Amino acid sequence: MKDLAVHFEGVGKKYRHFTLDDIHLELPTGSIMGFIGANGAGKSTTLRILMGLVHQDRGTVNVLGSDMPAQQAAAKRDIGFVSEDMRLYKSATLAWHMGFIRSIYPSWDEAYAASLAKRFDLKPQQKIKGLSHGQRVKAALLLVLARRPRLLVLDEPTTGLDPVARQEILGGLMEVIADERRTVLFSSQNTLDIEQISDLITFIDRGRIVDSDDKETFLERWRRVRLEVPPGVVLPALPGIVGTAGSGRLTVVTTSSYDPATAAAYQSAGATVRAVDTMTLEEIFVANVQSRREGQAA
Amino acid sequence: MNTYMVKRLILKDWYFNRWTIVSYIAAGAVALVLLGMGNEGAFFAGTILLVTVLIALGIHLTMATVVEERKEMTLPFVMSLPISAREYTTAKILANLLIFLVPWGTLLIASFALIAGSAALPDGLIPFTAVVLTEIFVSTCLILAVALVSESQGWTIGAIVLGNLGFNGFLYFVSHIPSMGSTMKGPDIIWNQAAVTLLLAELAAVLLLLGLTFWLQSRKTDFI
Repeated sequence: MKDLAVHFEGVGKKYRHFTLDDIHLELPTGSIMGFIGANGAGKSTTLRILMGLVHQDRGTVNVLGSDMPAQQAAAKRDIGFVSEDMRLYKSATLAWHMGFIRSIYPSWDEAYAASLAKRFDLKPQQKIKGLSHGQRVKAALLLVLARRPRLLVLDEPTTGLDPVARQEILGGLMEVIADERRTVLFSSQNTLDIEQISDLITFIDRGRIVDSDDKETFLERWRRVRLEVPPGVVLPALPGIVGTAGSGRLTVVTTSSYDPATAAAYQSAGATVRAVDTMTLEEIFVANVQSRREGQAA
Repeated sequence: MNTYMVKRLILKDWYFNRWTIVSYIAAGAVALVLLGMGNEGAFFAGTILLVTVLIALGIHLTMATVVEERKEMTLPFVMSLPISAREYTTAKILANLLIFLVPWGTLLIASFALIAGSAALPDGLIPFTAVVLTEIFVSTCLILAVALVSESQGWTIGAIVLGNLGFNGFLYFVSHIPSMGSTMKGPDIIWNQAAVTLLLAELAAVLLLLGLTFWLQSRKTDFI
């Protein structure tokens, strides 16, 4: 039996213009999952359900052994949550926020908080209203990291940050993630961020999870095969083909389950394999979502 | 109920509103000085200022602790803490009651003392003052309840308007109750049936509003 930090089973939530539908999600303890989706795909709703802040209409959610939303207060003791739309109190200093969090969480690590402040170049005596957006995100991260939560839930924390601030935050996160007991669920539209820190990837689109696997498997099984197809040659219908583009002699086939037999099958059919290209996570995400949408439309 | 967390959230709101409390008590003190000056003009100005200070205090607190929390997006920060929605509601209601009742209670007692100690003001004003100032407390609870349940600035402003109209209507109604009017200018403090009934009705309205708030909050499914 898997040791799961997060387990969604058939979760649904219906709004007037959006439906989160039949979400099944398993996040093993100690793993780092990147949660990728376009704007309005359902990432934030899913993470809010995880936190107990939005109640699901159906299905069950278990986080760190607590049923959500009923046991949210207990679960949230061990969850560090930072979201793009979360703000700290503008009129208070970072030091006040640190004192506030310290008074709530016995696990607060003062030395670690000081080292994070130094690493993120934050001055505790500075008021939040005087901080830049990047500094505010760093301050929010400091407040959750210094209490060493078992589960980190980060809802697009790098959105709107300049590349330097983004890299600093990702660097800090990677350091924290070195602790293998910690589980992280990181949502973003930025696949580069996700690719850097995640070992599991989940794609969500239009309220449905469209694919979920470990990062290496994604990167290994997705390929673009560039083919030269002589007139009269019909390409075989192989499993895992998610798209075929091109016209005339040059055709590009995108597959989600590439293995050497794929190229051999095309060659046997009379086509010439010109190249087999690896794909970036972003290309995989876009191809995946487009093929699902086309499949739904058909 | 996680009373520790509720206490932490109350202390947080107290901390952020500590100067609000001080400034409203100071403004209320100015109103009491005017009331005690012994001339009609100052009494009128003092009455208006005292009522305005207490009404504004209730509005200010609700806006600062509930509406602003959503508008300034600090609500996700608060709700990420180990609390349930019920504990959040409890903390908000208790914080607002505490922060409101400290200046309100101080000014109520000070106005009683002023009336009792001033030769120019009839002691019979005390029950009337208690009933009228308690109505402001009811109005504050209405605004707080609407703000918590609706989480909307528009609805809260609607409740403020309603509360203000209600207060003026109430003032007219109470001053036209014969048993209140007849004792108000007398030298004795008389807690007649009308005054006691009004106070009990106000207390019941407070309990009803707060109970309704808890019930409606418990039915909510989305908190941020």
